Amino acid sequence: MRYRSQSVAYWYFAVAMCLFGLQLVFGLLSASKYLGPDPLLDFLPFDKTKAIHTNLLIVWVLTGFMGATYYVVPEESRGEIYSIKLAYAQLVAWTLMGVTAIVGYMFGWTAGNKMLEQPFPLKIVIVVVMLMFLFNILMTIKRAGRWTVTEGVLVAGLVLAAVLYLPALIEYDNYTVSIFYRWWTIHLWVEGVWEMIQGGLLAYLLIRLSGADREVMEKWLYVIVGLVFLAGILGTAHHYYWVGVPYYWLPIGGLFSALEPLALLGMAMYAYFAMRRSGLSHPNSLAVHWTIGSAVFTVFGAGLLGFAHTWPSVNKWTHGTLVTAMHGHGAFYGAYAMIVMAIISYTLPSLTENRKVEGNNIGYWAFWMQVMGMFGMTLSFGTAGIGQVYLERILGLGYLDTQLKLQVHFLMLIATASVFAIGAAFFIWDFFRNAPKSISDSRISEFGPVIDSNNGGLLYQKR
Amino acid sequence: MTKRQGRLFFIICTFLTAAAFIGMTIHSHSRFAELTNEDKLTPAVISGKDIWHKNNCINCHTLLGEGGYYAPDLTKITQQRGTPYLTAFLKDPSQFYSEEKHRRLMPNPNLGDTEISDVIAFLDWVSHIDNQGWPPRPIIVSGTTIPGTDVGQPATQASVSSDPVAQGEALFRSSPPACNACHSVVPGTNLAGPTLAGLVTRATAIIASPEYKGEAKTPAEYIRESITHPSAYLVPGAMYSANNQSFMPDNFITDLEPGQIDSLVAYLETLK
Repeated sequence: MRYRSQSVAYWYFAVAMCLFGLQLVFGLLSASKYLGPDPLLDFLPFDKTKAIHTNLLIVWVLTGFMGATYYVVPEESRGEIYSIKLAYAQLVAWTLMGVTAIVGYMFGWTAGNKMLEQPFPLKIVIVVVMLMFLFNILMTIKRAGRWTVTEGVLVAGLVLAAVLYLPALIEYDNYTVSIFYRWWTIHLWVEGVWEMIQGGLLAYLLIRLSGADREVMEKWLYVIVGLVFLAGILGTAHHYYWVGVPYYWLPIGGLFSALEPLALLGMAMYAYFAMRRSGLSHPNSLAVHWTIGSAVFTVFGAGLLGFAHTWPSVNKWTHGTLVTAMHGHGAFYGAYAMIVMAIISYTLPSLTENRKVEGNNIGYWAFWMQVMGMFGMTLSFGTAGIGQVYLERILGLGYLDTQLKLQVHFLMLIATASVFAIGAAFFIWDFFRNAPKSISDSRISEFGPVIDSNNGGLLYQKR
Repeated sequence: MTKRQGRLFFIICTFLTAAAFIGMTIHSHSRFAELTNEDKLTPAVISGKDIWHKNNCINCHTLLGEGGYYAPDLTKITQQRGTPYLTAFLKDPSQFYSEEKHRRLMPNPNLGDTEISDVIAFLDWVSHIDNQGWPPRPIIVSGTTIPGTDVGQPATQASVSSDPVAQGEALFRSSPPACNACHSVVPGTNLAGPTLAGLVTRATAIIASPEYKGEAKTPAEYIRESITHPSAYLVPGAMYSANNQSFMPDNFITDLEPGQIDSLVAYLETLK
């Protein structure tokens, strides 16, 4: 930690970790309802637990992105955050918004539009918080008078994420039009600008962890983000196939969403070669695990599993089945949950007291149990989805009768989700067990985030 | 490649695809009215959409294939179930499905009569959206269109329910032999017997046609006659009858209680 104000990031990460834990509680609760009967049917039915599960995901990942930005921007621009008070005020408003939304959902206060369930007043709070955040970040960069491509990509991604939320504020009478613009927010977030954010964070981490040449890394960052948009913008079409749009969206969607894995593969190669070529090994190998893990799991969850059902002639049969849940879990986890945990693992030794840079056993257990658990969950959803497509869509067995035949997959889902949840609990416990450094006390190092009083400023060790 | 060229690649890719995307969006807007029958977007339909949102239906059901994957897709539901059925169902879903058997049940949405008819109007509007023919074959809620597959409901739930339509539907799947072993309620899916989708509409046309020689004057009487005397009117097709004799068993008149036949008629009458 070079700048005192970077310590703001800790509190963002802390909130993110709490919400992550809560997300899993509601995820497990939702999964158990597949087995039924549901004793909570009249108080907390599936629709509520699922809405809370998905909303918590979006909120905690965004909280992680904001925390990461408050950490990265001062270092890249070489200056303190413009207003620490504003950063804390923003976090309080954001957290209150999130908690209000969750409690509201429990009592039926919802806009009922999938992933955009936030009632209108809360949507306004979200916009205000985003404006506070962007103002603070842009003023930090302006005051420092210096910016890098890495932070430029990161901040541009966040600005675009805020802009793309605006269509969600409008209501449409025509349900098809409503779906059309819902994807402007959701799809262009997760398969567009959020990948831009992931790319920016990945570049930042790779430059720090591998010591790779910044010029080379930033050149390829441009190419990767270019590929993301080349495929991702027109790839929105794969959500439009069957909702009442003109025919040409089908071939366009098939072609461009088939290209989406290319950008993600590029990202994984980018990470792999950066680590290989540099010949340096950073002592924080736990952060290296999460960084490379994120790049690789993205290819699997977002790229491969997305590609599996994106072609129109396949999607015609798989659309609206558990095959989509398979892809959704793998994609969000690999691309976004893991990159946030990568940046947390990287920054934690400098944000908290008495923590070893190279990580500890609990940290590695957390990593491997989560990766294995999530892999098993995608397999469970995938096999359930294939069964569903075959029995329900092709043979014509009723929906309810089909779901009964998938019980074994739901048992598998709960088993693997439990492994995942234990891994996540390890991560969260590991996060909170060391107290944060107080700003007045923090030792400011000139050499980056690694602080080790025994070997001074030694950042990298020759392999 | 230099960093400058990398940036140029990024700018060109983004600009070109964004321009194409916005162009297609503008063109799609010129087609939405026709593809979605905007002229039929009545206040009832819009109100139904608001009720759909307010009750968070999308987080269990799917509509146009989008939603929670936890409950049946409702894109074409109004073409499979008539308004009387859907109304009775929305008043109390537990009368129609058993949580013990299916392990999941829709909680009672507690809607008023107008709200129910608005939601049905909304779902009916959705079912007519021109969406490239999706789903490619009907997605049915329960039961099967596979001949010989025994996934019928046990008759137990009928004893719980007091609604004749619900009792009739349960009977449809369980009366020995189950009606749904031969008849689907899915449009266009003919099993050993013809589909019963749109039964009331067809019955009206049949009664009025010169080929009809039976005694029924109303669709309800026609349905009753078809159960008790299957050969009174023969649906055209060599796979359904031969020598003026329907292939449908004629023992229902003796094997079913009069009350059970009443329930079956009440249920089948909802297939508009």
